[in-house]
Amino acid sequence: MDFNLTKEQADIQKAAREFARGEFDPDRILEWDHTEEFPLPIWKKACDLGFQGVHFPESYGGQGLGLLDHALIIEAFCRQDSGIGTALGLSDFGAEMVIAHGTDEQKREVLPFLAQGKGLLTLAFLEEGYDLSTFQTVYRKNGNGYMIGGKKSYVTLAGTAQYIVVACQVESGDPEVQSVFLLTRGAKGIEGESIGEKLGMRMVPMQTVSFHRVVVREKDLVGQEGKGSSYLKEFLHTARVEAGAAGVGIAQGAFDRALDYARKREQFGRAIVTLEPIKNKLADMAVRVEMARWTVYRAASWLDQKKPEDRWAILAKMIASKAALEVAHDAIQIHGGYGYMTEGQVEHFYRDAKALDLFMESGSIEKSMLGDQIAGRV
Amino acid sequence: MEILNYTEDHLKFRERVRSFFEKEVTPHVDEWEKSGITPKSAWKRMGQEGFLCTSVPKEYGGMGADFLYSVILSEELVQTGHTGLAAPLHSDVVVPYITAFGSEELKRKYLSPCVSGDMVTAIAMTEPNAGSDLASIQTSAVEDGDDVVINGQKTFISNGINCDLLILAARDPSMSDAYSGMDLYVVEAGTGGFEKSKKLSKMGWQSQDTAELTFTDCRVPKGNRLGTKGGGFLMLMEKLQQERLMVCIGAVASAERLLQDTLRFCGETMDFGKPIAKLHNNRFKIVEMATEVRLGRVFLDKLVADHMEGKSIVVDVSMAKFWTTEMAMRIADQCLELQGSYGFCESNPMARAWRDMRVLAIFAGTNEIMKGIAVKFMGL
Repeated sequence: MDFNLTKEQADIQKAAREFARGEFDPDRILEWDHTEEFPLPIWKKACDLGFQGVHFPESYGGQGLGLLDHALIIEAFCRQDSGIGTALGLSDFGAEMVIAHGTDEQKREVLPFLAQGKGLLTLAFLEEGYDLSTFQTVYRKNGNGYMIGGKKSYVTLAGTAQYIVVACQVESGDPEVQSVFLLTRGAKGIEGESIGEKLGMRMVPMQTVSFHRVVVREKDLVGQEGKGSSYLKEFLHTARVEAGAAGVGIAQGAFDRALDYARKREQFGRAIVTLEPIKNKLADMAVRVEMARWTVYRAASWLDQKKPEDRWAILAKMIASKAALEVAHDAIQIHGGYGYMTEGQVEHFYRDAKALDLFMESGSIEKSMLGDQIAGRV
Repeated sequence: MEILNYTEDHLKFRERVRSFFEKEVTPHVDEWEKSGITPKSAWKRMGQEGFLCTSVPKEYGGMGADFLYSVILSEELVQTGHTGLAAPLHSDVVVPYITAFGSEELKRKYLSPCVSGDMVTAIAMTEPNAGSDLASIQTSAVEDGDDVVINGQKTFISNGINCDLLILAARDPSMSDAYSGMDLYVVEAGTGGFEKSKKLSKMGWQSQDTAELTFTDCRVPKGNRLGTKGGGFLMLMEKLQQERLMVCIGAVASAERLLQDTLRFCGETMDFGKPIAKLHNNRFKIVEMATEVRLGRVFLDKLVADHMEGKSIVVDVSMAKFWTTEMAMRIADQCLELQGSYGFCESNPMARAWRDMRVLAIFAGTNEIMKGIAVKFMGL
């Protein structure tokens, strides 16, 4: 058992950290968070410098690295800013499903496009609620291809993305037969409507996307027809690890700011970092950050080794998103009144942590998934 | 046996307040949240209805009402889903300094406009470099003839932009002891050298105008000092008890409202083929939340009763302030969790409540300060 990052991984981590420090402008952050905008110029630069899609195969515009390497970048970005970090992390949402099951043509079309910063990909899977066992969005055979109808909720960056992966269910027959299609966002019959303002992850605007008699070619099918449910399950494990990495970054970023503030802020004639209640709080926060970090790294490495067991991914999202929430909560407390002010920055980390915690699935859903798995029902 | 004895008059008052809020406040709340301030006209309407400063004695234009009227108003305000029309701050935190410590002249001059809503008040203690360490404030008040000359800066002042009248904590720089050198002054907005320098943007309480205030050679008559010279710190220590109690009332009432809304949501919303209230892990969560809220309510009502009887509540209110505010934050957090993705949508009133709750653990003395006070008075 070796807990060290490789030289290459340490270099990636350092480069991502330096990039984020140099490029994430605090004024632009406030503005994007306020106006709910995807940070397009930063994302472009990150693509130009090769930070996006590092885990895509080299033949498709990536660097052939692992999920752990990708996770290190997400963490470094979220550490500098929770908004930009989560936005960049979701700029290619669904790519791993295309890598795992897409045709060569789909991969050639989409992956280099994403890695080179030409556009974004999103995945439409949620409807109302978290139940993924049955969808109202359905497809049926239509000549040589298919036709899709229905509505998806909470689709990330759906107003910006050029491609959209959609998970749907066969209209007639077995309700458990699900399939996945890769479409262009501009396809006829696809319409998005903003879900409105959110309390966090505001640089990831979301839409409710409706599919009205969308005509789909046979070659738009991802993998085999009817395998959608297992593709989605498998993909969500990757997505959980990525969300976990974001959680680690947010927790670490909030911790950094709290420690920095506690060292500078003087009350009762001394720096508050020397006060026992503050030291205790920082110790609790450090515990959460490290628990989250090592669970996420373990989960990423587990998936990189193609191990079948999926418990680690759930643990990673559960532990890391709660760590982000709790550490950011405490970071506000250490900042006192200043922590509640927009200018203090940590409230932004806290809001983003809450949105991250509720995104994809909530902690209580994760707990019941984990419980089912431990009890042996899944 | 009820802990608090609400009379017919109290209940009628509650009905009146509720109906006024439903008609004249709740419909405007989203607009006030967007604009970052609550209009003065709303304060004026509150005054016209007799909803401000109910505890001010009749001879100064108030109702001379008991503390339950303040409790009722605070609880009903919570139902409006916003915090900007901060009547409890004005009526039960700031104005009582004038009622209790003001000279007859100050009372005659200021209490009546406070009751009528012609004057909105604020209190300024915190400074950029003095938060939890209140004794270290640097804003100075130097006597010069019949005046005092004030210099310094205050921050995170609620009602800071709307205020027409400010209770200001300042120190006499000639006194070496920070405690006995502190005084409270009544300063009118518009006094030369008193500048409302900056409205602050924050995570929640967005309809509430929180501001930075600056004093540059600001001259007020010596007669605007409350109480006897050097008594400022002790006055604050006395009146902070009720301020913290007001925070507890807001916290418990908010938690009750959130729980009630969440129960309705869980009954109406389907997932996994049934109402989410029927999902087993949610059922226990709901009971746990309801238990916490109930504990908070019982603790709070007992505190209110003790406060009304004039008992010293310093230990209990410090405990209650930290516990009820943390409880309210936990409830808000868990309510959003139960709502899933809808939890992070601002169209959901509970998202705002989640943002609003966070500051309760910080203002009126952080929860760490509360624990420090409680343990000190427990004799440890």
